Parts: sequence; structure tokens; C-alpha cells
Amino acid sequence: MHNSTLDDRTVIGVYHLTRTYGDRAALDDVSLTVANGEFVFLVGPSGAGKSTLLRMIYMDEYPNEGQVVVGEFVSTRMKRKHIPRLRRRVGIIFQDFKLLDDRSVFDNVAIAMRITGARGFDVKRRVNQVLNQVGLFYKRNDRPAALSGGEQQRVAIARALVNSPAILLADEPTGNLDPEVTEDILRLLFRINSAGTAVLMATHDHAMVRNFGQRILHLREGKIYEDERTGLIGNLNDRLDAVQLDRERQKRVRRELDRHRLESVAPLRTDRPGVAGPLFERAPVPPAGSDPRSAGEPREENE
Amino acid sequence: MFVRKFVYLVQEAFHTLSRHKGITSISVIIMSLSLLMLAVFLLATDNLLRFIGQAQRDMKLYVYASEHADKATIERLRGKLSAMPEVARVVYISRDDALANFRAQLGNDADVLDALETNPLPDAFWVVPKAGAHNRESIASLAGRITQLDGVDEVRYGKQFLDRFTAIVRGIYYVDVVVGFIVILSAVFIISNAVRLTVISRRKSIEILKLVGATNRFITMPFIIEGAFQGGISALLSLVLLFSVTMLSRRFVPDLAFFGVDKAVLYLSICVAIGSLGSFSALRRYLRTES
Repeated sequence: MHNSTLDDRTVIGVYHLTRTYGDRAALDDVSLTVANGEFVFLVGPSGAGKSTLLRMIYMDEYPNEGQVVVGEFVSTRMKRKHIPRLRRRVGIIFQDFKLLDDRSVFDNVAIAMRITGARGFDVKRRVNQVLNQVGLFYKRNDRPAALSGGEQQRVAIARALVNSPAILLADEPTGNLDPEVTEDILRLLFRINSAGTAVLMATHDHAMVRNFGQRILHLREGKIYEDERTGLIGNLNDRLDAVQLDRERQKRVRRELDRHRLESVAPLRTDRPGVAGPLFERAPVPPAGSDPRSAGEPREENE
Repeated sequence: MFVRKFVYLVQEAFHTLSRHKGITSISVIIMSLSLLMLAVFLLATDNLLRFIGQAQRDMKLYVYASEHADKATIERLRGKLSAMPEVARVVYISRDDALANFRAQLGNDADVLDALETNPLPDAFWVVPKAGAHNRESIASLAGRITQLDGVDEVRYGKQFLDRFTAIVRGIYYVDVVVGFIVILSAVFIISNAVRLTVISRRKSIEILKLVGATNRFITMPFIIEGAFQGGISALLSLVLLFSVTMLSRRFVPDLAFFGVDKAVLYLSICVAIGSLGSFSALRRYLRTES
């Protein structure tokens, strides 16, 4: 078995994961790691095993073989009664939002905090804060049914964020939304990511996500067949590891990179209309190794 | 922290009850009707046992002294009877008292007694056995021992009646146990299904609570509180219904009694337990994590 502790730069480790249903293998020897603060798209056609993989990560199901490590939680040594503790550290959003129809937006978000036994005052403050963050504070007393699809997904995102998780898992979060709203939601996810939360988002739509410069994992028939590190930063980070710079220089370069990343994501850090550049027209990321400063600049679509 | 969580859970339970008024009232109605069935059975059993107990308490032995017994023998006999361990009470009826009673019973026909030259009635005792000795065997053995005593002519205790009474009571017990088993089983079945209905209607919120990291205890507690509450309300409703039915039937069966406070409280708490256990067992399979 793989060593089951993660180094401090990794938040999710999946090692030789196999999951079968009857004769069919939903996942077949899948391994991957997600770094702290990383944004990863998990792309594949429906039935490829994306949802199964995510379910293994939030431990709704256990693998037949292999191991999942999320923070300090290790699937092979984990007691079931500790699953709730894991779920409080991992935000999860879904295609169908999974909101409680019989209570208000505020209560939907607050419940994720109340289950931890948080004080009413703290709950109120924090819930209002995240509702502000997703831009729905003014709808806090509405029922989910009165909101649009995009707004409902924002409520779900607020609920996922309310306990300040290190990881956000998203299973086709834009599957039910039209393109403009999809853009809003993606923008929000990027913004959340730039604040330090690692995001693992499953989608079937490669065309939608390939131009963002984020790492893309392709899953097909239960196997990862490509780990596409189109992202400038991810790629350079890897290269740093590969060339084995001495520690001092590594640190310096990483600091530089972090600074650039903040800059490169800067246009996405606000979702006020008119301020952000149009998300879908962002240029494909330049080939690895070119000037990182150009990463955030909008360019002409050349495909 | 614990208190805060508990308060929150209780609030949660009652909010949910009021949010789902429709399904709550349906399950309360179903539950109170099936509990009414149970309550009718329990009340019938209660009254039956009371009647049987009454009849048993009324049992006594009639001890007739022999003709030749003098005052001293009668006194000694009385002492011996009172000293017997199973005997609760001994009432002496002198032959003169007996004749007076007889005369009173005859009423207008009492003049036939004037034809008698002497009092034909013997001195007699009523012997009332203690509570533990109200069954056929101990009464028979008591009668046997009394017959042996000095100055006793005859002991009567309604042997035939007692034999039949014992057989009937035994039959009633068997029927009661069988009927009770069926009634209790069906009440539990109906109630747990009504509760299951509530749980199924809220499958989605159970799933969501699990996803956001609620512990099983946190998910179950509101359901258990709700189940207990519904059980209690339904039990109360069925008691009120049954009480009015009982009061109406008093016209025909004047001796019919309602549950005492202790039994009503016991009944209520059993229903509360059935409600909460029903909730718990219906929930369990939605709480498991597949592997």
C-alpha cells in the first residue's frame, strides 16, 4: 500500500483506486494528486467514472482496491463515524444543487455550520459573509424554489464554503445552467480558488474548460489517460520539481510564481459585470516556459 | 455546546413538524386510529381483570357448626379459624341472626317460619380467604382442613361454580393474550409504516445533511423527537376518543371503568417509545454508507 500521509503541499491523494460494480469497473487503477490551492478539471464523457471518483473522495463509497487520502483522512484506516468530520472539511456542490426546499437561503447555508454546534451569533455572521461573497445576501430570506438555477448553485457554493474548507469538489456544477450563468459560476469558482481553496471540478465539456490554463485530467472508461497540465503555473511548478533547483532558489522562484498567479487571476477576482474580461474569450495559455506575465492578458481566440 | 445542539435539534424537530403539516397530520391520524384499537383492547382487558378480581374477592367459605356444639366450642372454633394463615376475616352468624336474616329475606312470606317450633338453622361462619388464596386449589385445601376441626358440621364453597369459573378465566386469559399479541403487532406495524412515510418523504434532506457532514446522531435526533411527539399526541387523541366512548357505554355497562392515571401515563409513555423507535428503525437504512 502506498504511504498514506500527504506532504504539506498535497490535499488529495488517490492511489491505485479500483471500484467495480458487478463485472463493470467504474474506476480502474486510478492515481492522482491534487496540490494545495490547485484547480483541476476532471473531464470525461458521462459514465467515465467522474462522479464515482468524487464520491470516493468525499467517502460516500469506499474503493475495492487502492486508497484515498484527503488531508489527514485515509480511506483504508478510516472509521465511518469520522466521515462527518471529513465532509466538514470538504465543500461539495452538484449539478442538481441539493438544496432544502423547505427552508430559506440563509438556513440552507447555515445548516452546514449549525451541525458543527457553532454559536448562533457566529453562524449569522459567517453565513452573511459567504452569502455576500456569492452575491446573494439580499435574497437570504427567499426559498430556493424562488431563485434561478444560477442563484441556486451560488447558494450551494455558499453552503460548501461556510466551514472554510481546504477543498471544493464540484460534480458537473454547470450541467443544468445556460452558458452565461455557467460563466458566472466558473468565475466564482476561480475566485474561490484564488483565495486558496483547491477545486476539483468534474465536467463532460472539454471545450468549455480547455482554455482556462488549468490542469485537466481526462478520465475515460475508468482510467486516467491524460493529465493535461496546460496551466502555466502548474506546469512550471512541476518543472521546478523536475530540475531540482537548490532549495533557496526553489523558494524564490515559487514566491515569484505565486505573485504572478495572483496577478494572472486578478481579472477573475471580481464578478462585477463590466470589470472582468469575458471568460470564454480568454486565450489559450501560451506554451510552457514562455513569459508568465502574459498569462492573464486576454488575447484573440486562435482556434 | 451540548445544550446548544440539543436546543437546536428540538427546534429543528418542531419546525419540521410545522413545515410538513399535511404529512404530520396524516400520520397522527393513522397512528391514533391504530392506537385506539390498542387502547380499546387494553381497556377491555383492564376491565375484565377487574371483574375477575372482584369475583375472586367475593369468594368465601360457609362453615356450619354442628347442632350439638355449645358456646365454648363455637368460641374455640372461631379462634382456630381466625388463626389459620390463609384466612383474612371470619364473620360469625349466630343461628338467631341467621333466622332473622332469613325472615327478612322472605318478607311477606315470613309467616311460614312461625310454623317452626325450633330454629332449624345452625350457627355459621363466613370465612374470607386472603388475597393470595383466591384460587381453586387453596380454597379446596382450606375447606378440607376446616372440615377436620372440632364442632364443624359442613363446609360449603361452591365447588362446581368455582371449577367452572376457573376454567372460564383461564380461557379468557388465553384469548386475551392471543388477541393482544395480534393487536400490538398490528399497531406497531401500522405505526412504523406511518413513520416510515415521513422518513421517506424527507430522504432528500437526510442525504443533504449527510453530505454537509452531519453526524448520524444529528440527523436522527429530530426524527426521534418528532416520532416521540407524534406517538404522544396520537396516544392522547386515542385516549380522549376512548374516554368519550367509555362514558357513553356506561349507560349499558355501568361498571365500566376508565384507565387510572398510572395506567394512562404508562400507556402514553409506551406510545411515545413506539413512535420514537419506529422513527429510528425507519431511518437506519438511509444512514448507511455503501461500500
